[in-house]
Amino acid sequence: MEDISLVTVVFMLPLVGVLPLLFVRSLSEHTMKWLTLTVSLVTFGLSLLLLYNFDTRVAGLQMVQKWDWISSDSFTIRYYVGVDGISIWLVLLTTFIMPISILASFEPIKDRVRLYYIFMLLMEWAMIGVFVAQDLFLFYVFWEVTLIPMYFLIGIWGSEDRIYAAIKFFLYTMAGSLLMLLAILWLGNEAGTFSLPEIFAKLNSGELSFSPSTERWLFLAFAIAFAIKVPMWPLHSWLPDAHVQAPTAGSVILAGVLLKMGTYGFVRFNLPLFPEASETFAPYIALLAVIGIIYGAWVSYGQDNVKKLVAYSSISHLGFVMLGIFALNSSGIQGGILQMVNHGISTGGLFLMVGMLYERRHTKMMNAFGGIWRAMPLFSGLSLVIVLSSMGLPGLNGFVGEFTILLGSAGSQVLSLWFTVAAAVGIILAAVYMLYMFNTVYMGELDKEENKRLPDLNWQELWSLIPIVIMVFAIGLQAGFFFNYMDSSVRDLVQYLGDTITAAAGR
Amino acid sequence: MLSEYAPIAALLVISVGMGILILFISRIFGPFRPTARKLAPYESGMEPFGPAIRRIPVKFYRVAVLFILFDIEVIFFLPWAVVFRDLGSYGLVTMGVFFFVLTVGFIYEWKVGGLEWE
Amino acid sequence: MFEVPSLSDLNVGATLPVTLLALGACVLLVVDLFIPRERKSITAWLTAIGIGVSLVFSLLSLSGAVEFGSGELAFSDMYRADRLTDTINVAALITALLGVMVAYDYLERTRLQRGEYYILLMFSAAGAMLMGAANDLVIVFIALELLSIPLYILSGFRRPQEASEESAMKYFLLGAFASGFLIYGIALIYGATGTTNLPEVWDAVAGVVAEDSAAKFLVMIGAGLVLAGLGFKVAAVPFHMWTPDVYQGAPTPVVAYMSVAAKIGGFAALVRVFGMGLSTFVLESGAPAAWQDTIWLVAVLTMLLGNVVAIVQSDLKRLLAYSTIAHAGYILIAVAAAGTAGLEDTAAQAVVIYLIAYAFTNAGAFAVITAMEKDDASNTSLDALRGLASRCPWLAAAMAVFMLSLTGIPLTAGFVGKWFVFKVALQADLVAAAVVGVLTSAVSAYYYLRVVWMMYFEEGEGDAATPPALAWAIGVAAVGTLVLGALPYLLSDMAREITLAFGG
Repeated sequence: MEDISLVTVVFMLPLVGVLPLLFVRSLSEHTMKWLTLTVSLVTFGLSLLLLYNFDTRVAGLQMVQKWDWISSDSFTIRYYVGVDGISIWLVLLTTFIMPISILASFEPIKDRVRLYYIFMLLMEWAMIGVFVAQDLFLFYVFWEVTLIPMYFLIGIWGSEDRIYAAIKFFLYTMAGSLLMLLAILWLGNEAGTFSLPEIFAKLNSGELSFSPSTERWLFLAFAIAFAIKVPMWPLHSWLPDAHVQAPTAGSVILAGVLLKMGTYGFVRFNLPLFPEASETFAPYIALLAVIGIIYGAWVSYGQDNVKKLVAYSSISHLGFVMLGIFALNSSGIQGGILQMVNHGISTGGLFLMVGMLYERRHTKMMNAFGGIWRAMPLFSGLSLVIVLSSMGLPGLNGFVGEFTILLGSAGSQVLSLWFTVAAAVGIILAAVYMLYMFNTVYMGELDKEENKRLPDLNWQELWSLIPIVIMVFAIGLQAGFFFNYMDSSVRDLVQYLGDTITAAAGR
Repeated sequence: MLSEYAPIAALLVISVGMGILILFISRIFGPFRPTARKLAPYESGMEPFGPAIRRIPVKFYRVAVLFILFDIEVIFFLPWAVVFRDLGSYGLVTMGVFFFVLTVGFIYEWKVGGLEWE
Repeated sequence: MFEVPSLSDLNVGATLPVTLLALGACVLLVVDLFIPRERKSITAWLTAIGIGVSLVFSLLSLSGAVEFGSGELAFSDMYRADRLTDTINVAALITALLGVMVAYDYLERTRLQRGEYYILLMFSAAGAMLMGAANDLVIVFIALELLSIPLYILSGFRRPQEASEESAMKYFLLGAFASGFLIYGIALIYGATGTTNLPEVWDAVAGVVAEDSAAKFLVMIGAGLVLAGLGFKVAAVPFHMWTPDVYQGAPTPVVAYMSVAAKIGGFAALVRVFGMGLSTFVLESGAPAAWQDTIWLVAVLTMLLGNVVAIVQSDLKRLLAYSTIAHAGYILIAVAAAGTAGLEDTAAQAVVIYLIAYAFTNAGAFAVITAMEKDDASNTSLDALRGLASRCPWLAAAMAVFMLSLTGIPLTAGFVGKWFVFKVALQADLVAAAVVGVLTSAVSAYYYLRVVWMMYFEEGEGDAATPPALAWAIGVAAVGTLVLGALPYLLSDMAREITLAFGG
């Protein structure tokens, strides 16, 4: 029996946590809540250990675990997990967001508690699975499995239009990912293996190669699945529905982690598997990304529902990530990855804020609030930090990510400078709608009677916001520490992209 | 390949031709003294005209079906009986299996009352 | 002069699983006469034991631990006991066992408890097993009848309920019609090749193609008619019209059994006839078999019709009836892939994997409906599911698992089936069929999820009764669906050594 890798432990722990919830009948609600929180905290602790053991000088996979799952004469499917510089921060983001959203569910979730926490842990398990999987089969399995807990979370604990939103969310994502399934099968048939590192090795050695048109088709099959998940304009229409109807913790997870699966997919699969097609399609994808940035910001500004505003702002922010990734250079991709983490933290925080407001007033309309600062100073202070971070104020996390992305796209060889200019306009728009929202909800006169007696944060709420604020400052002030981890892997990827593209141009 | 079927085709032509021929021969050479009864299409005591759907006790069908089963049994037994010496123990055992299946069916039929008229 | 074979030439040992089952059914038919009406649980137990014994023998043969008989062929080359036979046996027997478990309490509470039910079920299981073992077109036909006739009777088992009688009548008439197609197709193939033995047909068809004679058209028409006959059994469009009516009218436990057993038998026979017998039927050298295009077009139509019409159904039994049509389409893609030279074995493996996955899932889903159904056959509408999750959490969870498996969500058996089917489809360059397959899967997600949403998201009076045997059946099916989904190598290892025999 070989050693069990730490990655496997982090990955499987939430699943183990599901077992008592499933089978021990006598648990009280109180025990279930704390049990779930403990499991997710231990997972987070172990994932910190992952970070500690991570060797930043290595570009490839670390802490790998490889078992045969299905083997046949013509192909192998493996349980193959590991982390590298691209995925390590996303794994940590997942394990970081989960305890927060579980803590934030203590008060709001009152019925079918057992089922709720089962789905929360399954969700965590599946999301970690997506980020650590190094086998296409394994990846696809968890990519799809994430849908199920989220479908139930929205459908059971969501607000009025929850069923419509849940179905729309499920169908949109599934329709896109099934084409990816065909592309995966095609790749596997050609390569004789579904393990990603082996496919890369075969591509590198020239043992496996695609004709340009095949490569483009495969690129598109993967890209559509990921683009729906991101979501990129014009495939975004499920997102506002899902976000607005989901319970607070559901929105936090959705914005914090699920959307990152799409952008992560682009970096992990599309770029290294289909470098030439990536180069061909880069301007088009960047165009969609920039449209998404402006469109998301514009529509956000027009909202009177806080949750919808935050939802549309996600489209805008994810546009930045996409722009960075398809700059196809080191700073663009690094900025993109960091921005994924940033967005998870800031937008997660924003959704928590909206949830706390909703718990108090049972409305998400901005005009129902006003002058909240006077009633709830502590809450408002923390909110301000998060809003500023989402806007990209220098010194906070959002700025570092967006700035690096713009740096990357400006220096990109495949994108014209206009993309950068347009994206910069997006930053200004972000400031406009965020401050507009903050102004309407928090500032001004405390003129509504029912708002005057709002209680300030209780301890669960406080403790779910504090880690977020800490991370906002930590990334903002110590970005080098975070970039350091992804440096080798991203440099390797960009090197590979550059080589292949040059080689293709020379042909 | 298809030419191998030529004898069958010949047989078909001859048998159809023979049938038609006989009809005409009897018409030409036979005595023909019609009466109303003789011209009726069917002469075995049944009323030839009436409603097409008539109620017939379902028991008749059951008996008919059972008869066919045992009739087929005879059809299978006869050729076997002709050559049973050549077939030897192999034939005996296979026929035994066939007989076993039929007996099971027979016992079942008997016990559930399939053979009783009332 | 005819040479008399010796008894040992029959190689009865190789046919042990199916022989035992048929013999058991014969004996039980007599024994049951002496069991009083109120103690039919004895018959049910004896049936279960009979099926269990046969299952043990099949598994022993599958594992290779014991070799029954000498060699693969039995009964003068009529019966072939190879790996495909073993896997089909296992699938059919598991389905039959689930069928007995689902039926027992239902028969008890609807006062239909009669021994014939179990015996007919055993006979039809034997028919399904024989179809997988057929090495001769005549066996295909006989096995088809052995499978079908008990099913006609079982559909009408709820006499004198009109819906049940109507369903039996409809099934019988259309089934007899389809048998006619099949036997005529067999006759034409015999006419063209001079043999009904499948490996010999394989050789002879190669000869017919090589000499380019008029007999080629006989083979073509014959293959078409055989496809129509078997397509009827597996409910492929355009031979599907009977399915919704029959499945809605027949007693639910019967549907749980027959929706799977008929598919197992039908697809096993399709693989034998087309993959094994007619795979040499190519119109120009190097091209895939001539029937490939027809079959994948049928598959595409089947998937489209089944999935699209299922969306508008409001009755759960009818919805699942259309879903069985849709699933026939997915399996047909794999059958079509067998037309590409060199892929016959892989395609057969995909078919078997899908069938076993489908057996657990679909039998389980109908078992849940059996639990919901009231004694007067009501309470099977989608609305009856409302709020089921809060009243019967485990039952609802099981149903959710079945629905996700039918959708093809990973970590369920259904996904493993689809994975292998689409994989072989891409290997055979049937890209269009595969694309339609995945898109219709997305469509199917809508109506399968509707079942889940009724149970979990809506409030209501949904209720069900799960007596022990039924609860066990649902539990086994649900655990089977999940285990096969999480450990797909169980299925793939089982199917891996399936190879079809070619040439006489």
